[in-house]
Amino acid sequence: MIWHIIRKEISENLLSLRFMLSLILIISLFAASSFIFVGKYRQESDDYWKKTNKNLSDLRKPLNRLNDLAFHKQQIFRKPKALALCVEGYEKYFPNYVEFNIFNIGLPEVKGSANFTLPHFSDVNWVFIISLILSFVAFVFTFDSISGEKEAGTLRMMLANTIPRYKVLLGKYFGAMLTLCVPFLIGVLVSLIIVIASNIGGISRLQWLEVLVVVILSLLYLSVFVFLGVFVSSRATRSANCMVVLLLLWVCLVILIPSLGRTVSSMFSKTPTRVELNRKLSEVYEQIWSNPDRFGKNAGVSFPDANDPRMNLPARARLYNAWSNAKNQVVIDHHNKMMAQALTGRNFTCLSPTAVYQRASEAITGVGIGRCADFYQQVKRYQENLKEFIRSKDAEDPHSRHLIFDEDNSGGAFDWRTISKRPVDFDVVPKFQERDLALGQSLKLAIWDIGLLVLFNLVFFAAAFVSFLRYDVR
Amino acid sequence: MIWRIAKKEFLLNLITFKFAVGTILCVILVSVFVPVLAKDYQQRLEEYNENVAANEAEIRKVMVYKNILPTVYRPPNVLCVFSEGVEKRLGTSAKISHLDVPEISATSNEVNPYMSMFPALDVSLILKVVFSALALLVAYNVISGEREQGTLKLILSGTLARHQVLLGKFLAGMMTLIVPVTIVFILALLLLLSFPMIEPTTSNWAGIGLMYIASLLFISAMYNLGLFFSTLVKKSAISLVLGLFAWVIFVVVVPSGSTYLATQIRPLASQEELEGRRVPAMEELRGKSRKVSAEFSHWKGPKSDADGPFGQSYTVVCAKSCLHDASKAYPLLKSLESDYGDSVWRIELSYVDSLVKQNRLARNIARISPISVYENVMSTLAQSDLGSFQSFMDNARAYRNDVIEYIRSKTNNFSSSSYFTICSEREATIYEKKLEAVKQAQNENERKKARDDFQQFINETKKGRTTLGLKDLPRFTYQPSVVKSLKRALPDLAMLVFVNVLLFSLSFVAFIGYDVRSD
Repeated sequence: MIWHIIRKEISENLLSLRFMLSLILIISLFAASSFIFVGKYRQESDDYWKKTNKNLSDLRKPLNRLNDLAFHKQQIFRKPKALALCVEGYEKYFPNYVEFNIFNIGLPEVKGSANFTLPHFSDVNWVFIISLILSFVAFVFTFDSISGEKEAGTLRMMLANTIPRYKVLLGKYFGAMLTLCVPFLIGVLVSLIIVIASNIGGISRLQWLEVLVVVILSLLYLSVFVFLGVFVSSRATRSANCMVVLLLLWVCLVILIPSLGRTVSSMFSKTPTRVELNRKLSEVYEQIWSNPDRFGKNAGVSFPDANDPRMNLPARARLYNAWSNAKNQVVIDHHNKMMAQALTGRNFTCLSPTAVYQRASEAITGVGIGRCADFYQQVKRYQENLKEFIRSKDAEDPHSRHLIFDEDNSGGAFDWRTISKRPVDFDVVPKFQERDLALGQSLKLAIWDIGLLVLFNLVFFAAAFVSFLRYDVR
Repeated sequence: MIWRIAKKEFLLNLITFKFAVGTILCVILVSVFVPVLAKDYQQRLEEYNENVAANEAEIRKVMVYKNILPTVYRPPNVLCVFSEGVEKRLGTSAKISHLDVPEISATSNEVNPYMSMFPALDVSLILKVVFSALALLVAYNVISGEREQGTLKLILSGTLARHQVLLGKFLAGMMTLIVPVTIVFILALLLLLSFPMIEPTTSNWAGIGLMYIASLLFISAMYNLGLFFSTLVKKSAISLVLGLFAWVIFVVVVPSGSTYLATQIRPLASQEELEGRRVPAMEELRGKSRKVSAEFSHWKGPKSDADGPFGQSYTVVCAKSCLHDASKAYPLLKSLESDYGDSVWRIELSYVDSLVKQNRLARNIARISPISVYENVMSTLAQSDLGSFQSFMDNARAYRNDVIEYIRSKTNNFSSSSYFTICSEREATIYEKKLEAVKQAQNENERKKARDDFQQFINETKKGRTTLGLKDLPRFTYQPSVVKSLKRALPDLAMLVFVNVLLFSLSFVAFIGYDVRSD
């Protein structure tokens, strides 16, 4: 019997105006967004490779001396992702660039081409279309699912048969879900065809799996809205009122709550400013230099001749390394604070399933704020590796003092031979390569959000079920 | 008769569920948003006042003309509570110096780039999203609903002309919608005025008045859209679906889509190229300045021995030859710096131009949605649009010229010694003598004495001088005028009016041929 209802629902929906409108709207959006994405991705990839190759060719220059390699500043950019087709997570406004040498690492910074005179906007991609348009369409399909039948008088007739109410409810639910799947899946297909046909490359097998997970996640998200629609429809007696409530609910859930993030963030956590950062850095300087002797006698003095008896190079190395570490710690703390502030707002916005869904799909495809944090971590790890590499190469040189510390490379310290000055082979120098997370790890990151979405589903299903059981069908 | 229809409809609307829910939602949102926004404004106002006071204090400390390097600040506008525009994304200050020409730039205040994932929040968000939905909900069944109930037949069986019915319906809708708009504005104003630091000026009041009118025009446009769909189809469910789809396209698709499209159609000028052009200009300046310095060997660059205001330093005393050479070197250097500043500005301008063009394209594409048109009007009236920032920078540039002209006139084209030092001819002679004494000293004791003497002389010279006062230095004023912003908003306002007229005429045409028989 349930199949009867589903079939009837679907065929009724398929013939309706709202279905035609949503089909046209959604497919054209998917197609247009994919075309724009292809152009954008090509341009960004070109840009990225240009910058990365420049960084690599710059890395060849200091290879005459290991010492210079240690002091060489590398500039690493974030890689554009093919899965930005699915979700982009405001990455274009996030820092995409880090500069570092083996001693110091800077704050990640925003370098590039975002137009600051434009309002902040979201790229039109899958998650945008699904979270904003399809969620709305889900309400349009369900607002009259119960109350509409009641108004038409058909609900009474249906329930006069032997069919139990939960079957009617499930029939309505699956009918709406399957109808929604039509524009959704066609849109996804069209989008994928455009992307594959334009041959941009770079989509690995893992990424196909991620796309699949995003599709499943999207269905889970849409199901929340279908349940909510059915719930509201089974609360009211008139379908027009249902639409009013649903429309306002949609505005709150999809537009207003996600907009409140900034306010909540700045209410609950203080914004760390650049001035504070600089003040902390100078505090660190004061602290280290106020009593240099605690790192060893004469750590604070230096002379051009390394063999000068007044000098204590190992102590000086300790002092400088302590200073570098303290500076790096300040920078990293500052970065963590910025992250924490943004995440406060983000966590609040997860009152809305839209934000939960966006966060989950960002985690799955490895974009957005989490990816930026991961990128910074990876650069830090690479910095460690490079340092280790330099240390091991340095150990091979009997003429070096094996003291790797950050004292001005260009000044008198250059002649001290604290680091080896032998040439290095480019091929053995470790190079930075940004790695994506494995699917298992991304799923682990998204597991809470997936759980939340399931919870939303259950709550609204229960609510719809209970209110439909008590629904007055007359 | 029109009036009677309008009154009946109005009263019916007032007791509807949608009206109640919409209005209550708006009231709640305004009471939550406005205090947060007002607090934020208050904070920015405090910051601005501090900055301006600090700048003024520094000006009062100036001893030599070289040190006049003030910064000008753009006052925050209370109307930003209504529409934030680009207010927080663009720099609100400009440094006045020979080397840089003020130009719009990204703000340096956005300390946490990760916060940019949250969209801006202002009162116009409520107005544009909630009210437009409410307007559609009020309008979707005015004709088709009456037809379904069979009352349309009855109305038209009288002597009433169809245009009268339509006009009555329109009036009723507007009367209904004016109520929540007015409530929102009054509530927002009351909440704003409850903050002690917020005192709207006359031009602010005028701006708010204009915003109110713009909001009514916008609501009326959305209502007319609903009315049009209602006269187009026979069933109100269909007109609702049509209206909602149009709404979601206008609210969600057009604003993001237009910007996304514009960034792809008109890419920005490359920043690397910009840097590539700036570096040679800088090199050229350096080379030329070096040449000038080499020409005047007694003047060894700006020798400074005392800290002045604006983080600058100045020369207390120097030799006569230095005074002499500086009076020749500075005019040359300053003209070089001015040229450099201008050429770098021109380079930057090409980049800014590409930004502005992209922005304009995005806005033009977005104009297919009345919601975007309304947003433009609101940000322009709130003086938080790009045009307002450009006019601020125009003012800052004019002020830079004034300041440079002022210094030029006071220092005889930078040649007077008062430009860089407080030292006079007489003091320069003494300075030379005292320096000679230090050099001539035979033994340690004598040298120490001569040095002390020298130091004392410098200290006395420093103490003996008062600051320049600079009472007649032109001060920066920036008074954004309502008339100017209204002028900028006029095309978009006209467009709103046009949309209204167009949609109403279309509904009129559709209604003339409407089949009023119910099934």
